[in-house]
Amino acid sequence: MTPKRLLLLLLSVGVAAFIVGIWQLASNLHWVSPIFLPPPDRAWAALLFDIERGDLASRVLLTLEHMFYGWLLASLGGILIGSAVGISSTARAYLAPTLEFFRPLPASALFPVLIAFFGLTENMVLVVIGFGALWPTLLATINGFATVKPRLHEVARLMRLSRRQFILSIALPNAMPEILAGMRLSLTIALILSVTGEILSGSPGLGYWIMLQARAFRAPDLFAGVLLFGLIGYASVQIVSLLESWLLRWRA
Amino acid sequence: MSEAAAPAEPALIAFRGIEVAFGGKPILTGIDLDMHKGEFLCVVGPSGCGKTTLLRLAAGLLPPSAGRVLYEGHDIVGPQRDVAVVFQDYSDALLPWRTASGNVSLVYETLGTPRDERADRIASVLARVGLAEHADKYPSQLSGGMQQRLQIARCLAQEPKVWLMDEPFGALDAITRQSLQDEILRIVADTGTTVFFVTHDLEEAIYLGHRVIAMKPHPGRIAATYPVDLPHPRDQRTTPEQPEFMHLRRVLLEFIRGTQT
Ligand SMILES: Nc1ncnc2c1ncn2[C@@H]1O[C@H](COP(=O)(O)OP(=O)(O)OP(=O)(O)O)[C@@H](O)[C@H]1O
Ligand SMILES: [Mg+2]
Repeated sequence: MTPKRLLLLLLSVGVAAFIVGIWQLASNLHWVSPIFLPPPDRAWAALLFDIERGDLASRVLLTLEHMFYGWLLASLGGILIGSAVGISSTARAYLAPTLEFFRPLPASALFPVLIAFFGLTENMVLVVIGFGALWPTLLATINGFATVKPRLHEVARLMRLSRRQFILSIALPNAMPEILAGMRLSLTIALILSVTGEILSGSPGLGYWIMLQARAFRAPDLFAGVLLFGLIGYASVQIVSLLESWLLRWRA
Repeated sequence: MSEAAAPAEPALIAFRGIEVAFGGKPILTGIDLDMHKGEFLCVVGPSGCGKTTLLRLAAGLLPPSAGRVLYEGHDIVGPQRDVAVVFQDYSDALLPWRTASGNVSLVYETLGTPRDERADRIASVLARVGLAEHADKYPSQLSGGMQQRLQIARCLAQEPKVWLMDEPFGALDAITRQSLQDEILRIVADTGTTVFFVTHDLEEAIYLGHRVIAMKPHPGRIAATYPVDLPHPRDQRTTPEQPEFMHLRRVLLEFIRGTQT
């Protein structure tokens, strides 16, 4: 690690510590009632206690499962549909406006619709996550196909690449930086929708658990859950970023 | 003239009454040109006179606005498997997400070369352009000259009958340029390959070519054709000292000066 990166790391840790400090201070000095904002040490204690009691781990696992499978569904769907649309400039021209119309639809608005179709099931949750998290990857794939440089199209023609070879060797790698950025966005959307989905469907994941804590006015436990979500979000994005820098190591 | 360009043989590539216009503006006009098998044809002319456009016609990348481009007597309707193109802008012609060997491998993948043969072939092709030690580097990690050599390696892998080369050695240092010039001459001598070679370096054109075509701009047309009566094999030390070489160089220099006024 270079000294500069070390300094940045120290600074970012410092900022986080500072915010936790303010939080602790705000609670201790009763700027905010601890009923709404418990001090971090109590939230931490609650977290440890809940983990020890045993059912938190399985809930986290369930939520991770929702998030991961929903994200996988969205990523595969996005890349496949995106490739099918992106390969033909005509399909791109025809379909892009429709896709742009669907994209800003809030995925959570789909819950009522899909509950009618699927009922309050795990599949329903997965479909909503898949749909909501699909867009960044889908549009990134289409765009990545559109931005293949004319020269590479010529190289592909000269080498007589088949359509499949063109997609696999040129179009998808060309789209890869955008696809990965899209997948990173998708991950966050998937996490948000897992929580919403669990709360609505009563699936016993972390999202549902948090809602129970809120209903019971167990602020420390509620905050413990929020902390966990933060951690899950942070860690998962870090993992994808690592994957990203490995897959894009060809970039200067 | 070279023995390869015997008049009895039909032209390998023929331009017949070619006109090219972009947006109504004439770019090339009245191009009639025959290239014979085994011929090394060099094209010189000022920037913007349509050299690249002419090459793209031969590659089947661009249809003429009028006239015909023939390959072995048939109209060229698209790129041909046995024609390889070395582009002027080498960095855009490589796949940046593949290593040097990956870029060469693409050719074998499309040719359906068995997987276990590829590694050896890739290594030998890279060695021929002096990139053996850089096989695992990505284009972004290679210098401009190395990227251009990689593009040439990729074409070598194709084992084409015709090379269309667009100022291929412009980015190279003198030593590398000379060794690649000799390499391409050796390939032509060994395999009877036909080369269409665009350059702005007059000495390079004379050194390599059987014939040098000089073009004029506005609109682009062939202004003069100079046969190069220099013996083969050519030699980097002695060929440029021959009277014919010096004579041609002076003629071409005067021609180029004339197009710029
Ligand atoms: N796709 C195109 N659309 C419009 N004009 C074009 C196009 N391609 C080339 N031209 C024009 O045609 C003319 C000839 O271009 P070309 O690239 O063939 O020149 P060149 O002789 O290769 O030049 P240089 O030595 O600079 O490479 C130029 O005036 C250029 O602006
Ligand atoms: Mg050019």
